[in-house]
Amino acid sequence: MTTKTLDTVAASPGRRRFKGRLGAGTTLAMLAVMVLLPLVLPSATLATEILIFAMAALACNLLLGFTGLLSFGQAIFFGAGAYISALAMIHLNAGLIGALLIAVVSGCVLALGVGMLCIRRKGIYFVMLTLALTQMAYFLAYTLSDWTGGDNGLLDVPRPPLAVGETTLISFASPLAFYALVASLFALIYVVARRITDSPFGSTLLAIRENEQRASALGYDTRLFKIMVFVLSGGITALAGALYGMLLNFVPLSNIELLMSEQILIMTIIGGTGSLFGSLLGAGAIVLLGDLLSSIWPRWMLLLGVALIAVVIFMRGGLWGGLSSLLERRRGSHTKPHKEAGHD
Amino acid sequence: MLNVYLFQILNGLGLGMIYFLISVGLTLIFGLLNFVNFAHGAFFLVGSYLCYTLVSLTGNFWLALIAGPLLVALLAWALERSLIQRIYHLPHTFQILVTLGIALIIQELSIMIWGPVGKSIPTPEALQGVVRIGNFAYPYYRLFLIGFSALVAVVLWLLLERTRFGALVRAGSESTEMVSLLGSNIFRLFSITFALGVGLAGLAGVLSAPLRGAHPFIGPEVLGLAFVVVVIGGMGSFTGALVAGLIVGVVQSLMTSLWPQGASLMIYAAMAVVILLRPHGLFGRA
Repeated sequence: MTTKTLDTVAASPGRRRFKGRLGAGTTLAMLAVMVLLPLVLPSATLATEILIFAMAALACNLLLGFTGLLSFGQAIFFGAGAYISALAMIHLNAGLIGALLIAVVSGCVLALGVGMLCIRRKGIYFVMLTLALTQMAYFLAYTLSDWTGGDNGLLDVPRPPLAVGETTLISFASPLAFYALVASLFALIYVVARRITDSPFGSTLLAIRENEQRASALGYDTRLFKIMVFVLSGGITALAGALYGMLLNFVPLSNIELLMSEQILIMTIIGGTGSLFGSLLGAGAIVLLGDLLSSIWPRWMLLLGVALIAVVIFMRGGLWGGLSSLLERRRGSHTKPHKEAGHD
Repeated sequence: MLNVYLFQILNGLGLGMIYFLISVGLTLIFGLLNFVNFAHGAFFLVGSYLCYTLVSLTGNFWLALIAGPLLVALLAWALERSLIQRIYHLPHTFQILVTLGIALIIQELSIMIWGPVGKSIPTPEALQGVVRIGNFAYPYYRLFLIGFSALVAVVLWLLLERTRFGALVRAGSESTEMVSLLGSNIFRLFSITFALGVGLAGLAGVLSAPLRGAHPFIGPEVLGLAFVVVVIGGMGSFTGALVAGLIVGVVQSLMTSLWPQGASLMIYAAMAVVILLRPHGLFGRA
């Protein structure tokens, strides 16, 4: 094993062409999944939860899969997005768009701060710093119980309708309607994220992931790129957090816990680091597994531990890596899927 | 009033020694093996539960005190041989993820074995009651905890500074290649050090069990605190782990009566500040 990074989208020309075709394919696949999810699953609420976590995993993937930054800080943005949007709705009477916008903006601002601090350190110190900041955010939320409800969580979070003035245009009271809202937001974010990762900006991120010194020597201000990807990731994660609060009508303290960061990371990795579609797969697999197993076998998290180890050691590409190498083999592509999916 | 502070400071020293035992293992493993062990807190958990099982089976705390850490070390040794040895060469990111997986597995297995509700462990009979000096009273067990862990610290220091094994560990922390070139079996050294470091976390788990019991979800909290201590003391530093462990323990103990959440907030803020301003900590090598 010589790869130094979480390597899935290797950049050989053949692979790149293939990736182009696969890229368009996955956008279509993603849209198909959006439509099918609520039909196939027992409840629209479950489908909504999958997409919310897919959003968070996608944002995590931008940091981990595309830039090589392992951050335990995602819970800060997820929790802050949930709390701040809920507080804006409860105390400031903010509407749907207002609440979501406030969440995104505060996520971006927080991520700007966290990113600027954390990227001053590299490697293990970077990881430790994100861990310390998440713990601080948790204890802060715990201490400010007048605002956050502390251990009991923030109760009675509304799910406001889309309204102009006093007239309600669309109510999201029904699970299916709310699913449609979350699905459209996810689709929008997915397409935008895809455009970003396919752009020169995205290629520079990959360059930083592969070899930061070299990218920096080529004249890229790698710090600026890392901060920008933090802001992007923070904004998306906060949006996911805000939607999660609206889904549950409740913001539990666990939203801002280190465990939430771990959960998002595990979804990202098991789905496939470096693949946006993989994030949807990872979140889907884990949320579904949890829903199916938690009542019959409460210790199902054991499987996540095993899967995490297996993915890191044997199948670096995660679910997406496995799936795409299968697809590649069936298409008779000349590239060697084994090697490229990180099996080296 | 003064007695209250003395009481809290002594409690803090005990807590600090527990933190030291946990973190010195983490720091030893990081120093020699350059390996980041996110499963360290989970082994503390196993230590506490083994203490519970051994005490309830035999009724003998002293047996648990010896056998508990040894069993944890044995478990660590087996894990090192079968899995961890394969990931030393991987970047820290992967080590963190694999050990995170191990921590999750250990936690869930512990719940399967010992149930989701915490267990309490009685204070050993010989150490029940309190010591009285004037009008100041202090529990025997807590004094024993401070004394015993201080003894362990001294033995560990002697082991690292005065023995061939210690010399190899210290040399290996400088350059594993050199030690290996000079003809020492570096992989055996790695296995022993890993088992020793994790065994110390197990010992901390056993020692704290009569005070705090065994709880299935304590792992992440313990891990977080161990990282605070290791970072403040300096990664890889024995003295750092001791000094920072005691500082964190005493500060936390004194703040507990005033503002408990504030204590944790402050400790993690201190960790962040140390990483930003002085990444090598109080005693780490630059």
